[in-house]
Amino acid sequence: MSTLIEIITATDPALRDRSLDAFAEAAGLSELLAECAALDAFRRRSDNLYERVRALFFLYAIHRFHLPAKPGMPARGLIPFAGYEHLLSRRFEEAIATFRRAWDEQGPNQALSSALAEAYHRLAFQTLADQVRRSVRTVRGNQWMFRIGHPADHPLRIRGELLVPGATILRERTPVRMDLSHSAWSDIFFLGMDFPEGARVLNVSIDLAVRGRDAAPRPPVEAYLRVIDEPVLRLTSVDLGATADLTHLRDVFDFARDYLGLLKAAVIASGIVPPGMEGAGQPLSELLARLVGPGKGLELVSSVNDIPKGSRLAVSTSLLACLIACCMRATGQAKSLTGPLAENERRLVAARAILGEWLAGSGGGWQDSGGVWPGMKLIYGVLAEEGDPEYGVSRGRLLPNHKILDRDDASDAVRQALQDSLVLVHGGMAQNVGPILEMVTEKYLLRSEAEWAGRRDAMRVLDDILVALRGADPRKAVQDIGRLTTHNFFGPLQTIIPWASNLYTETLIARARQAFGSDFWGFWMLGGMSGGGMGFIIAPESAERAKGALYDIMLTTKRELQHALPFAMDPVVYDFAINPTGTQADLLCEADALMPTGYYALHAPRLVKLDQRALTPMRRADLDRFANATRTRREFSGMTKALFDRLLPRLAGDDAGPGGASQLEELLEAFGFDRAQHEHIRADLKSGRIGLAQNRLPANVHVEDVSAGDPDSDPGRDVLVNATDRRRLADFERIGREAMRDGQVAVMTLAAGAGSRWTQGAGVVKALHPFAKLDGKHRTFIEVHLAKSRRVCRLYDAPVPHIITTSYLTHGPIAAYIARRPSSDDVPVFLSEGRSVGLRMIPMVRDLRFQWEEMPQQILDEQAQKVRESLHAALIAWAQHAGEGSDYTDNVPMQCLHPVGHWFEVPNLLRNGTLRALLDDYPNLRYLMLHNIDTLGADADPAMLGLHIARGACLTFEVITRRVEDRGGGLARVDGQVRLVEGLAMPREEAEFALSYYNSATCWIDVHQLLAVFGLTVADLGDAPRVNAAIRAVGARMPTYITLKDVKKRWGHGQEDIFPVTQWEKLWGDMTALSGMKSAFVVVPRLRGQQLKDQAQLDGWLRDGSAAHVESLCDWA
Amino acid sequence: MKITKAVITAAGRNQRGLPLQTLIDRDGAQKSALQIIVEEVLTAGINDICVVVQPGDERAYAAASGEHARRLSFVEQREPRGYGDAILCAREFIAGQPFLHLVGDHLHLSDDGDGSTCAQQVVRIAEAHECSVSAVQPTRESLLPNYGAVGGKRLPNQERLYLVDHVLEKPTPTEAEQTLIVPGLRAGYYLCFFGIHALTPTVMDLLADLAASDERSAFTLSDALAALLHRERYLAYEVLGRRYDIGVRYGLLNAQLALALGGRDRSEVLAQLVELLATRS
Repeated sequence: MSTLIEIITATDPALRDRSLDAFAEAAGLSELLAECAALDAFRRRSDNLYERVRALFFLYAIHRFHLPAKPGMPARGLIPFAGYEHLLSRRFEEAIATFRRAWDEQGPNQALSSALAEAYHRLAFQTLADQVRRSVRTVRGNQWMFRIGHPADHPLRIRGELLVPGATILRERTPVRMDLSHSAWSDIFFLGMDFPEGARVLNVSIDLAVRGRDAAPRPPVEAYLRVIDEPVLRLTSVDLGATADLTHLRDVFDFARDYLGLLKAAVIASGIVPPGMEGAGQPLSELLARLVGPGKGLELVSSVNDIPKGSRLAVSTSLLACLIACCMRATGQAKSLTGPLAENERRLVAARAILGEWLAGSGGGWQDSGGVWPGMKLIYGVLAEEGDPEYGVSRGRLLPNHKILDRDDASDAVRQALQDSLVLVHGGMAQNVGPILEMVTEKYLLRSEAEWAGRRDAMRVLDDILVALRGADPRKAVQDIGRLTTHNFFGPLQTIIPWASNLYTETLIARARQAFGSDFWGFWMLGGMSGGGMGFIIAPESAERAKGALYDIMLTTKRELQHALPFAMDPVVYDFAINPTGTQADLLCEADALMPTGYYALHAPRLVKLDQRALTPMRRADLDRFANATRTRREFSGMTKALFDRLLPRLAGDDAGPGGASQLEELLEAFGFDRAQHEHIRADLKSGRIGLAQNRLPANVHVEDVSAGDPDSDPGRDVLVNATDRRRLADFERIGREAMRDGQVAVMTLAAGAGSRWTQGAGVVKALHPFAKLDGKHRTFIEVHLAKSRRVCRLYDAPVPHIITTSYLTHGPIAAYIARRPSSDDVPVFLSEGRSVGLRMIPMVRDLRFQWEEMPQQILDEQAQKVRESLHAALIAWAQHAGEGSDYTDNVPMQCLHPVGHWFEVPNLLRNGTLRALLDDYPNLRYLMLHNIDTLGADADPAMLGLHIARGACLTFEVITRRVEDRGGGLARVDGQVRLVEGLAMPREEAEFALSYYNSATCWIDVHQLLAVFGLTVADLGDAPRVNAAIRAVGARMPTYITLKDVKKRWGHGQEDIFPVTQWEKLWGDMTALSGMKSAFVVVPRLRGQQLKDQAQLDGWLRDGSAAHVESLCDWA
Repeated sequence: MKITKAVITAAGRNQRGLPLQTLIDRDGAQKSALQIIVEEVLTAGINDICVVVQPGDERAYAAASGEHARRLSFVEQREPRGYGDAILCAREFIAGQPFLHLVGDHLHLSDDGDGSTCAQQVVRIAEAHECSVSAVQPTRESLLPNYGAVGGKRLPNQERLYLVDHVLEKPTPTEAEQTLIVPGLRAGYYLCFFGIHALTPTVMDLLADLAASDERSAFTLSDALAALLHRERYLAYEVLGRRYDIGVRYGLLNAQLALALGGRDRSEVLAQLVELLATRS
């Protein structure tokens, strides 16, 4: 029997918890291949969810990490496009079958391993997600909602108390939850369902106030519900300033059309519009007539009192739970209309919140609706028993149990001491924690040794915190908690997920420690990752002072790092109080039947504009009550100004200042914006001469794969040289070393880009992102590249200057960063400032449709896909409304500009004088190694330099063997000419899958030959008009690509919207297509050529040896 | 246990006129709904019948009961305190005896092959098991807002008989799904009350307790039955028959059609219906 199957099926925890890594590292290639075959057969025949999923994760990890590292595993292979299409369409089983057939035909290779790894990984998560969904649907109390398909069958009725004549509003107020221990993300459903013993969370319900803004802490999340005299479902989100009257069932299921997705999810998950009615064609009034009465409707309003997004306090899940609780009470699904909920009702609210999150295409952990329960509680996983829907499928139940801590578990004094010492903050960062939650699941199932030890350590931390809470001395209890949570953050949490921390958080901790000395008792991480919601535990006598001081520390640190890390807002300090009641409802009647103030700011101006006769009696009465409240109630006293601001919006010109249109014009002027070129591109775009479809090479072009020379051929002659075997490069290395010592080479790092994928369009400088800890410190991309140059300088005793190219977006922050370097640093740095900028445009609907409907798209999980389709429809409407092809100016100015592609960065060297300056300082300089900011493994390797010199090429490009994640063109023979083809230019999507090699974007340049291509000599570099004319002439021969990029628009309190915008670019790889260009191509090892495009790649990069390889190339001194 | 008394409730605010409606019974005779209900009771061998009415309704009801008027006692429910209170009004009449209870807004038609009426079936079960028995019918969850419902387990070796462990009045489907679990019943169906109960005198005591516990609020029979199952054995019987709620929209028409199609004039009514259908199309 296979060893790995024995591990999976073992009942003895000692065997069952063995790590895959320990086995796989010792096993040989053939043994691992045999295990793969056995595991694949096993996961197909096993009925047990856990066994299937663990086998899938084992298969993923073997293909992703272990097989590629085994000697004798070929690198090159072709991934069948059909399999890739299956992957995109979420047909994972079919994808696996296709890849395995290719495996049988081609033999094992790293390309197919990468594709299989991806398919197994995603099938594992799909299997887990399906199980969660099944469990939520089968929770008793939820099942009926999936059976009801017609309004006439609706079995709910609104409670009589809400139908009495006169004004009545049901208000639900819910605290948010705080995780007192951070129990290593053990509330992830998958973990709780397999390892209920380890799924434990100490969860506290809290009221919040934003310090300096709100008077006192209160339940931050509120829902309001009332019956109205119109047959509509009126939804309003006060915080997002959105409202809509829904009249059709399909509107309720259209989640991304507006900002009301969460309210719609609550309406569905509470059974008001049961999920079984999705697709029903009846008007909503029919359902409302049955539910509320003929001619009547419902109004649901949400408010989170402007608590910023990303607080890590589960505000959105708490709001969802609050809305669901309110709707359930109103329809008699909870016994009590007012007051707290019963335990079984809270559990149902929690289950329905999970359902609602799934419906709206989001998801959190099972502790996130903890605010529904009162006070402090231990939430823990439970073994599935007979009668549970999970019984026989998974070890644990989907829904955990809640044990509310009593006075013996945590005395009032300890609770108060905790309140007095904890400073709760929002650091201002808002990041997507989705990848982190996936990593946690994966690492748990693989039981990698360090991470598994970390998890057990985190479990002990929770036990120790429970002991501390029982302590008699409150001061000591809080000190102990501070010590434990700090240990948790720096120990187990970062062992399991290194990405939970970041430079910002660790700088804050260090500065807080310095500022408060012995009064600093600890740091406390909240939620998926740090940088947003966090806690600092300070001696109570200093805590009040610390709130002000911490705010200043956070603001200063944020300003230092704002170009490097994605901040959504300025930091915030909260006041908080433990909420002893959990969610509560009350009835607001007659004069008290008022919605929150923000509701009237949104609705009253619209109503005032209407003809009086058009108002329903109820709306008139509501306006009356509101008018009266503005005279008599303090909280409504400032409403007059707010109303006038809404009624008479300020003119756009009033905003000219930071962020205004005039500033954009100034920036364009300053960055050398070419208006004539812009208008020319716009005209071409609107007329259809350029566009996404036009990026492609003609369909009749012949695109073929290129083969590297066989091992015995002369590397000096082949068009594609295989340089992956170092032993064969000794001669080239010698040539390279000599050139280096002679001062003939410089490194050129491209750092002009915005790194759109890296931070989903947040507009930070990727080059300065402190992306990972290397040698014990967070390092930026630039730091790594300079450390490699430093090593080369020292190792070969050669001066290797380092050029960093910048753009309008990156120049200032990078220049400041370089200026802060110690003067002793021996790497000479030259900044080459970009002189090209584009202005983004509203996309053409034609291009949006091409991107979303004609290009192969990753299909999402069923519900997420529905949400995405709804969003696409909304974005198409936005593009039409805003004007296709018009300038994109509805954002902060820097987000309206775009870099115009890295082709311009080399000519910029000529134009801005950097090359001339370099040649003045290093007259022997002849070669440049150009590389992307994210190609971390590329260094000035003398062997590569020697090869380039020996080939005598103008440009030598480094390529790597393709893996499934390497999308975007490759090396091809196009109508007989060997060149690089961009992904955008591929005549057909599948053509890319016939290419074995992917462009690493590292390129060796012979400076003199390149100048000749531009028709220049070194002597011409001082002649600006001549240089400009030469660049324009070559530029005109380069294709212009139209691309769609995501850009973030930030608004409100940490809210972000993402818009697709059109921009254009010219790319350096197209130089290989120039007639007469002498290009060469070299296959390099993956560790050297791979790029980090997405933060989700970081974990694999750390685990597969890439990070260690990069460290070995660096000299940090 | 021998049941000799019956209580019919007809004091509901919106149903006071329902028992007075006229229909053609299965035998072709024109009768009031009250007469049909009373005759249902009589089939079970019960001659001592109390009708709970609103103040002032006695005369109309007596008139509507025709030849059965002499068998009827009338009790007035002075305040509209709900269904439970209406039954409690007959406490004196019951005098500590077990009794049969029928609601005044339902007609019942038996499907029993041996010709037993619905009331007969319920009384027979109650007397055999010597405990309270509620007639129930599997009902779709969309109708839950109209009925009381029970959950429980089937009695071994007994057909259509359940030991009740939960009673809820007009439950939401959420509550019903969580609480009213009946093994063997189709998903989305619940055992809802049929409108006929054979009850022990303990139910009257429980109703009295409820009345005493809160002077103001209305209470239902379900509240008392929910308490009953903690005191006594309480069974639900899936009766062979159908109930027709004459209080709902087209309820009276539906009941009339059921009576006509189940009785002597079946062919005549069918012919009229076919003609009607043909004309309308």
